[in-house]
Amino acid sequence: MKTGSGTITPSVDRGLRYDLQIVLTVFRQARVVVLPIITTIIILAIWEAGVRLFHVSPVVLPAPSLIGANLVSNFGLLMHHAAQTTSEAAIGLCLAVSIGFCCGFALAYSPMFREATYPHMVFFQLTPKVALAPLFIMWLGVGAESRLAFTVFIAFFPILVSTAAGLTNVDESYIRFSKAITASTWQTFLHIRLPFALPHIFAGFKIGVTMSFIGIIVGEFITSQAGLGYLILFASTRAATATIFASILVLGVIGMLFYALVALVEKLVLRRYGSR
Amino acid sequence: MSVQQTSEMVGVDGVRKVYGEGPHALEALRSVSFSVETGQFVSILGPSGCGKSTLLNMVAGLDHPSAGTVRIQNDPVVVPRREIGIVFQDAVLLPWKTALENVLFPIRIMKLPLADYESRARELLEAVGLAAFMEHRPGQLSGGMRQRVAICRGLVHDPEVLLMDEPFSALDTITRDQMNVMLMQIWERFKRTALFVTHSIREAAYLSDRVIVMGRRPSQIVCDEIIRFPRPRPLSMMDSAEFNGLCAKLRAKIDEAHGFDSDDLH
Repeated sequence: MKTGSGTITPSVDRGLRYDLQIVLTVFRQARVVVLPIITTIIILAIWEAGVRLFHVSPVVLPAPSLIGANLVSNFGLLMHHAAQTTSEAAIGLCLAVSIGFCCGFALAYSPMFREATYPHMVFFQLTPKVALAPLFIMWLGVGAESRLAFTVFIAFFPILVSTAAGLTNVDESYIRFSKAITASTWQTFLHIRLPFALPHIFAGFKIGVTMSFIGIIVGEFITSQAGLGYLILFASTRAATATIFASILVLGVIGMLFYALVALVEKLVLRRYGSR
Repeated sequence: MSVQQTSEMVGVDGVRKVYGEGPHALEALRSVSFSVETGQFVSILGPSGCGKSTLLNMVAGLDHPSAGTVRIQNDPVVVPRREIGIVFQDAVLLPWKTALENVLFPIRIMKLPLADYESRARELLEAVGLAAFMEHRPGQLSGGMRQRVAICRGLVHDPEVLLMDEPFSALDTITRDQMNVMLMQIWERFKRTALFVTHSIREAAYLSDRVIVMGRRPSQIVCDEIIRFPRPRPLSMMDSAEFNGLCAKLRAKIDEAHGFDSDDLH
């Protein structure tokens, strides 16, 4: 009988205990879903009660009920801006992954390139890149180009570093074996280095997802044209705090969906190429 | 296929290997020469650090001599060639492929038609007793089983020479004896030229037609012994007086060449 995650396979040793075993197993699995829901309800209840009891102004901290109402009444508006943010974040992520992966590959395979650019990489990693956002506006204007450029700039570093590290840190005995069976450098990359590097690459990919959203939102804050970042800024000028919260909620959900998508791809790929 | 003048499969001629330069240069091999005939099973015996793996890597094309030549079928070895199959101490199986896929991996790399070799791969795996494990991944196999897969992989593309670098050193003694018998049976069946590097005197004496003993660094050959026990050789042969006499002789040669430096002989 498996305990915890997995299938329901109760032990069938005693007919009398059978029903009890099933109930206990189902309960154990339901706990994983039910407990967080209960925690959320408790937090929301305390929040709601607190706001009402202490007469907190809705401009400072709106009650969950108010946020919920705002979410419903502004749904069309929120979706319109969400679409804007999502599409740009998606494009930014795709570009960051492509560039990051290619540069990671170059770093791993060209010692000259690595030596020439590594100190610069470290420097840029340590610099707070968000501070450079206005610079991108100055160069590329107030539009999608500057936002995308900035997003790619932030998001491609973790992907680059993890790709380079993953491709380089392959056990040398596999590389030696590959040479012994007359494999070319490309074949060694495709059949050995790449599969071994996949867990590292996906780890960087997931960080890249987070970074690309940060990039787009910061870009929207500054360029103030459209999107959830713009909406948050706009709502703040109107003291419509409930709308701000509603926007943040939508943003969080979208971010989670992106992450879940990457995690799903990772799971499918590692099922084929993982070491189990 | 070219007609060979002699029946020599592997030729090592005056090979010297030096690491580094100047006063800190390390001479690993001084002058090694020997010839392996087609179909011979030759062991290279010696303790750790005597350069036997370096020698094997040169035959494999993974390393180059500082002086002298290494030939396979009269062709100097420059890069790794399809004529060799290789088994390392670490099985080095790809963790995401099944045993069968791992055995067929060299076929894919060499761009040979998979269909032609699949039956051979299955035959090899059956011969080593892994018929029921072809679809298992390395993570589900024991160390001995993984090494068996590695040996099948070394033979799948029908190489002229099978090179083995201490393939059983990482296994326990009981498994090791079983592996020796298995290797004997496989070798009887597929009869290839074999070059087997080991630090085990008993293993070398049991498996080989010929044992080449390497001396202390800078290494040379100190002994080239022909083993005349008839084949097929049962494991019980290892209990005979004749066998133990041979092992004692080899041990004496090794002690003479290496003094008390060698501490991993048995």
